[in-house]
Amino acid sequence: MRSYPAVVPIAFGLFLAVGVPASAHHAFGAEFDPNRPVLLKGAITKVEWVNPHAWIHVAVEKDDGTKEVWMVEAGTPNTLLRRGFTKDSLLPGTVITVDGYQSKDRSNRANGRDMTFPDGTKLFMGSSGTGAPKDGKDPTEPKKPKQ
Amino acid sequence: MPGPILLALALMAGQDAPSKTWTVPRTPDGHPDLSGTYDTATLTPLERPAQFGDKLFLTAEEAAAIEKEELNLSEDLARPSDPEREAPPVGGDGSPGPYGNVGGYNFFWIDRGTEVFELDGRRRTSIIVDPQNGQLPPLTLEASKRAAVRRALYKENAGENTGEAWWVEIEGPGPYDDPEQRPLGERCLLGFGSTSGPPSLPVLYNNLKRIVQTRDYVVILVEMVHDARIIPLHREHAPKEIQKWMGDSVGHWEGDTLVVDTTNFGKTPALYSASENLHVVERFTRIAEDTILYQFTVEDPTVWTKPWSGEYPWVSTDAPLYEYACHEANYSFGGILRGARLLEAEAAERRK
Amino acid sequence: MVEGQANAYRAPRASDGHPDLNGIWQALNTANYDLETHMARAAMALREGPYGPLPAADVLPLGAVGAVPGGLSVVEGGAIPYRPEALAKKKENQENWLTRDPEIHCYLPGVPRATYLPYPFQIFQSENGILITYEYAGAVRDVYLNDPGPPPVESWMGQSVGRWEGETLVVEVTGLNDRTWFDRSGNFHSAQLRVVERYTRVAPDHLLYEATLEDPEVFTRPWTIRMPLYRRVEPGAQLFDFKCVEFVEELMYGQYRRRPIAR
Repeated sequence: MRSYPAVVPIAFGLFLAVGVPASAHHAFGAEFDPNRPVLLKGAITKVEWVNPHAWIHVAVEKDDGTKEVWMVEAGTPNTLLRRGFTKDSLLPGTVITVDGYQSKDRSNRANGRDMTFPDGTKLFMGSSGTGAPKDGKDPTEPKKPKQ
Repeated sequence: MPGPILLALALMAGQDAPSKTWTVPRTPDGHPDLSGTYDTATLTPLERPAQFGDKLFLTAEEAAAIEKEELNLSEDLARPSDPEREAPPVGGDGSPGPYGNVGGYNFFWIDRGTEVFELDGRRRTSIIVDPQNGQLPPLTLEASKRAAVRRALYKENAGENTGEAWWVEIEGPGPYDDPEQRPLGERCLLGFGSTSGPPSLPVLYNNLKRIVQTRDYVVILVEMVHDARIIPLHREHAPKEIQKWMGDSVGHWEGDTLVVDTTNFGKTPALYSASENLHVVERFTRIAEDTILYQFTVEDPTVWTKPWSGEYPWVSTDAPLYEYACHEANYSFGGILRGARLLEAEAAERRK
Repeated sequence: MVEGQANAYRAPRASDGHPDLNGIWQALNTANYDLETHMARAAMALREGPYGPLPAADVLPLGAVGAVPGGLSVVEGGAIPYRPEALAKKKENQENWLTRDPEIHCYLPGVPRATYLPYPFQIFQSENGILITYEYAGAVRDVYLNDPGPPPVESWMGQSVGRWEGETLVVEVTGLNDRTWFDRSGNFHSAQLRVVERYTRVAPDHLLYEATLEDPEVFTRPWTIRMPLYRRVEPGAQLFDFKCVEFVEELMYGQYRRRPIAR
């Protein structure tokens, strides 16, 4: 297994696949400090399924054995809801590993650059852990809700 | 007749005869029924990548290659990470654009489409059809100057993130002085990237739209930020002094096409670079059971040297819109401003 | 209010064959101040004075503009049936109105408060769907005509599922989060809240609105509010923008400006 950055290229191959720049997306560059990388491992204490970003609270054990809670900034829940996930799909107590960068305001916040289970498998991939999330190959992938 | 209409007609002329089994469904007042829920995500960008020149169409092979590349990327990014991985590098991970040198977040939060779109059986290199090169027309001199100032100021939004308050060294305003200067999407005033528009353009995720149609109104509900574009069908524009974030839209039917005219924008419409002089004409035509052809022409003579037009399909989906309450949990916004103040204080300390 | 004549009026039909609720509607009462009967008083936020409550310092400069008008209860039976511990929480909310009322931060109002905020809303009804759009905070509700099952997450405006019972549109709302209030007087609920609304045309320009609220965590039994809604009949009536996010940025973020404005 290689250590693959969870970075989405803006331009790859032939195609530019994003719209007009600068107003695209909430700017991670405005919020997080590239000089303060973090690696967080711990149990989830709370998941806020909110927009514009879901926030995953993780209790991380410090060197002195005490715990401190970090808020990890994630994406829009709506994408996951349409793939059949719900607020019960990620529960407190679940242990995760997150790498990212700390918020520029120096609070215990970081971007969820790559969020995985301790064994490295990505969250929200269904039980198979591999393969494109929407190719239908995973029989345990939750079904889309109908209107 | 505007360019896109001529183009669409020209393209359709070369088509096979339309299927006899499909006729456009109509509402009781006889107009085409535009209602439904649509996912407007597409891999086709707004502007044509330069290497395609004036080529509007992709071959089937080219389209397949692009889609395969996206699928490979998506599969790649879904693979397990190294369980023993360390924190990412100090100084940033080099990720570009909105990912801001800090890597953004996982790809599974994104939903930018899996296909380049098809119209009249052919795949497209860009949403823009006019100008002919598929690119935005040149900016006016004034607009160019404003754009240059913006580019220089909002570096972090373009990916240049050093984690330092570089702006304390320059004269004039910094990029984080006041909430009002931040992008509308960041403030949760409108969805980012002209997702509501008008014109409505595809963005990184949550590209869903819901249309409900009555005798007197067409309403387009845009997922981000739960914006309802209310389009009256039997009214003139509001007086000039009434300005709206998404402009004032009035619609009327031209045959089987709904034509929507929008003016009365405020100083900062969602469409990047546009001014209060923005004027948008959109056309909605149902071309298949599950497809609406969405066409638009943008005019803003104080910003672009000529009008520009685009089109792409809105394709039906079974998936629902979900609530996108933004302001209610906009924790990042405070973080961004507080972070700027902290970095400025550190820069001031270093100067002593 | 056409009491006793509710059954005499037969509304025109919309294109879906049901009573036509299309239009711009607005409540004309003081329910948003307080669902229960309330006398006029000096301000929402009060402090003790030598002869009774006075406006708190924060709202004093508003003078009479900050005063609260009196009004009758819209609650059937008059009082909201709180559980005792919940009533204590309501009083605490009331005492901390300025920092706790979500309306002050322009947060989405939830259901049923969205209905009787002092701003118009518009119903769009056809055979292809029912939308309710509110001027306040641009809140929107898509009233599903097919039940998609339990909502996957909580939300500010909940998930609305509608059905017709004769001349009445019945809307069941679930999945509401616990962040909204019913009014400015601290009346609140938990995430268990379930709302059943009833919209009935009773006259050409009047809707009868009822909402039954069920929340066993907070109340001892379900309770119902009832009020008329009035059509905005002036020519050119329309919803204005009232997003109102930009109006509260100074309140919420002003202290983080590079050069904060003196308060």
